[in-house]
Amino acid sequence: MSEHKPRKSSEPKPPRAFGWMAEYADEHDLLVAARKVRDSGYTKTDAFTPFPVHGIDEALGIKPTILPFMVLCAGFTGLCTALLMQWWMNGVDYKYIISAKPFGLTPASIPVAFELTILFSAFTSFLGMIALNQLPKFSNPVFTNARFDRATDDRFFLYVNAADKYYNRESVKELLSGTHPDSLDEVLEDTTPSALPRGIVLTALLLVLAGLIPAMVILNMRASFSDLPRLHVFFDMDFQPKKKAQQPTTIFADARVMRPQVKGTVARGQLDEQDPFYLGYDPSKLSAMNGGQSVFYVATQPPQDGQPADAKPADAAAAPAEPAQKDATPAAPAAQAAGTPAPGAGLNLPWIDKLPIEATEENMKLGKTKFETFCSTCHGYAGYGDGLVHKRADALAQGYWLPPTSMHIDRVRKQPVGQIFHTITKGQGKMASYATVLTPKERWAVVLYVRALQLSRNASVEDVPVESRAQLEPSK
Amino acid sequence: MNLNYDKASIELPDAWRAKSPIFALVGVSCILIGVFCFFMAPSANGDRSGAFKFLTHSYLTNFIYILTFTLGALFFILVQFLTRAGWSSSIRRLAEIIMVLIPLIAVLFVPILVLLMSGNSDLYQWNSDKIESAIVAKKAEVYLTKEFFTIRSLVYFAFWILTSTWFYRLSRAQDESGDTELSTVRQKWAGPLIMLFSLSVTFAAFDWVMSVDPEWYSTIFGVYLFAASMMAFFAMMIVISQLLQKAGKVQKWITVEHYHDMGKFLFGFVMFWSYIAFSQLVLYWYANIPEETHWYDVRLQGNWWYLSYGLIAFHFAIPFLGLMSRHVRRHRTGLLFWAVWILVAHWLDMTFLIMPNAGLGASHFFPMLGHLLGGIGMLSIFAAFFLVRAAGVPLVAMRDPRLPEAMKYANPIL
Repeated sequence: MSEHKPRKSSEPKPPRAFGWMAEYADEHDLLVAARKVRDSGYTKTDAFTPFPVHGIDEALGIKPTILPFMVLCAGFTGLCTALLMQWWMNGVDYKYIISAKPFGLTPASIPVAFELTILFSAFTSFLGMIALNQLPKFSNPVFTNARFDRATDDRFFLYVNAADKYYNRESVKELLSGTHPDSLDEVLEDTTPSALPRGIVLTALLLVLAGLIPAMVILNMRASFSDLPRLHVFFDMDFQPKKKAQQPTTIFADARVMRPQVKGTVARGQLDEQDPFYLGYDPSKLSAMNGGQSVFYVATQPPQDGQPADAKPADAAAAPAEPAQKDATPAAPAAQAAGTPAPGAGLNLPWIDKLPIEATEENMKLGKTKFETFCSTCHGYAGYGDGLVHKRADALAQGYWLPPTSMHIDRVRKQPVGQIFHTITKGQGKMASYATVLTPKERWAVVLYVRALQLSRNASVEDVPVESRAQLEPSK
Repeated sequence: MNLNYDKASIELPDAWRAKSPIFALVGVSCILIGVFCFFMAPSANGDRSGAFKFLTHSYLTNFIYILTFTLGALFFILVQFLTRAGWSSSIRRLAEIIMVLIPLIAVLFVPILVLLMSGNSDLYQWNSDKIESAIVAKKAEVYLTKEFFTIRSLVYFAFWILTSTWFYRLSRAQDESGDTELSTVRQKWAGPLIMLFSLSVTFAAFDWVMSVDPEWYSTIFGVYLFAASMMAFFAMMIVISQLLQKAGKVQKWITVEHYHDMGKFLFGFVMFWSYIAFSQLVLYWYANIPEETHWYDVRLQGNWWYLSYGLIAFHFAIPFLGLMSRHVRRHRTGLLFWAVWILVAHWLDMTFLIMPNAGLGASHFFPMLGHLLGGIGMLSIFAAFFLVRAAGVPLVAMRDPRLPEAMKYANPIL
């Protein structure tokens, strides 16, 4: 640049000098020169090299940075922030039970503590590096020297700043000349005019104004109304050649989009709808009685023989839940629980009362496994309706929890097996359907196991085979 | 290559070998006094029935404690050849000597096999005809049988012994011939062997340590023991190097740069151990499944509460902060302090892994004293083994082709 813009000697003020810059052909010369300058006591020095040079810090006498210490402090701050935050949030301010784990600080707090430690450290090291290097710096006086361009290419530069407290123009020049540099230049202030050319300013202004136009258009559209139809950018997505349910069509003579079952065909699983094994009741008998309404009664499961439904659990564990039933929450199950006879009460619905599977050891084991996997969470292992879910909901005491039904109340004990099967299949009250997770055979096995549970809590001596009764006698 | 080196400065005199029986004797007496301590303390139910159980667990803990140093050394040697590292050439012989202690330490495993063969189920509950837990019974059908267990143990030891002695022989042969081909051979085989090594350590950890609680399992357990081994090995290397240098050996061959590098490794593996140990914990913590959490239940909620949570500070936080500074890692005494600290922390870690399964009797003092004495005894035996192997052998591989590289290397100033 200096060749392009020769400085005029007639200028009233000579350009400011910022120091001396020496140029070397390789890093060894640079290191030797840097050590010499360091040993002469100059501290405001810098080196510019095309690649990182090992030992340059020591040669320039640069003190170790305090950045690691700053990062350490930031890391500690992050750690303490995270621990304090978690202790406050989870231990004091908003105690929330998560699978019965303790409140406040636990081993699970470590990942968050770790993350915040890292976050604070990373930000500090990045921003600290920027700040300590006094970045961003758009210009440096050394740029005025055209030779300096090769600092990113193949030349090595050593710069002694005039701001150094021992700086003396002549002695620094002498010192650097003694290191045999390829060139030695004084770093001078850039004297080229710093004002922007007028054309550039004007163009920039125009561009900024032009850039505002789209924003103005959008703002205008948002604040006004239009009668034009909506613009369909993807027309074939908005209007697809397909029919939706209940729409008419010209393809079929009856104009129905939804097609009835073809005569003489059987849909998959259709036969199951006629089989008591899949239903728990006899569908032919059901449709014979009371017209189509009886199907509704099966779905709502009215209590048999007009007996009021009993939703109270048999054991004392549910005692705190008592207010829940007295609460003015007129939910359907609650109404049932209160003893209002449901419509259809007293009907003898055609439930199956004989198990369609054998009461074998194998089936009993299957039923036990499935019961303990799916049912015991609410109904409890012994079927008293005291499962973990119930205990937890009870502990929360939110008032609207309806306790799971005990298997050992009279109402359930008197239910035919088909009705219990139906309850498992379709669900009842809050209980969801288990048809998707249990096959019909597994559901019957669960019914078998429920029956066994009920018998185990309500058996008499007559149920024990005569030859085994002797074992019941207390041994002396 | 220049072979004019001062033999006295890099070799231990044979007189040192003569000291090894003393160390061995001290070790054995420590262990015997420890055994006496176990039988001193009454068990929870008043009699001394739990003492033998405690003894077996304590023996296994202390055996694993000294074995980990050698396993770490074996991995270190393999990885040096795998990466063709130059910086470590001058300290490699010391690591090789620790590595070839495996055949000697393998002898200490014999009592455990004898115990197993005699049908005792105090240590390994699965070694019994009457297994109550269905999970354990299933595992004990095929995998956890005393025959298969013995075969596997022998395979692990065979692999480690063959690998370590072969590498050691090649290294010693290079001392004589200076043949660079001997380095190339080791470089070629380091890769496959390191894969087999990782498998062997993983399964050894499963078999020997994890099966102490046969119901419990953790797939990260092998890595856990590996991380602990590497950390313990670097601590042991630092301690041994400094002891030798204090005795006037290998003075100029192990420089502050090497200590700095070993310190970095030590620091790194302290963090790696913490990472693995916490990974293992946090998965079980979140999942909260009974058959997985019971292992931690004994450790975090029972009598071992102090040790388990203490490890976070003693095994991670304090050495982490202590080793963080470059100045500490380049300071001999500072580094020695932390290396000794880590050796103690590693012993506590091994205790944490095994001992809670032995239960704790009514009195804590005597069983723990016995366990500590056992640990000191095992370390003493380790020292005896080291002297046997190290005496009369050059402590630096003087004709290693990468030795000049190791002497030239310097850590950059950051």
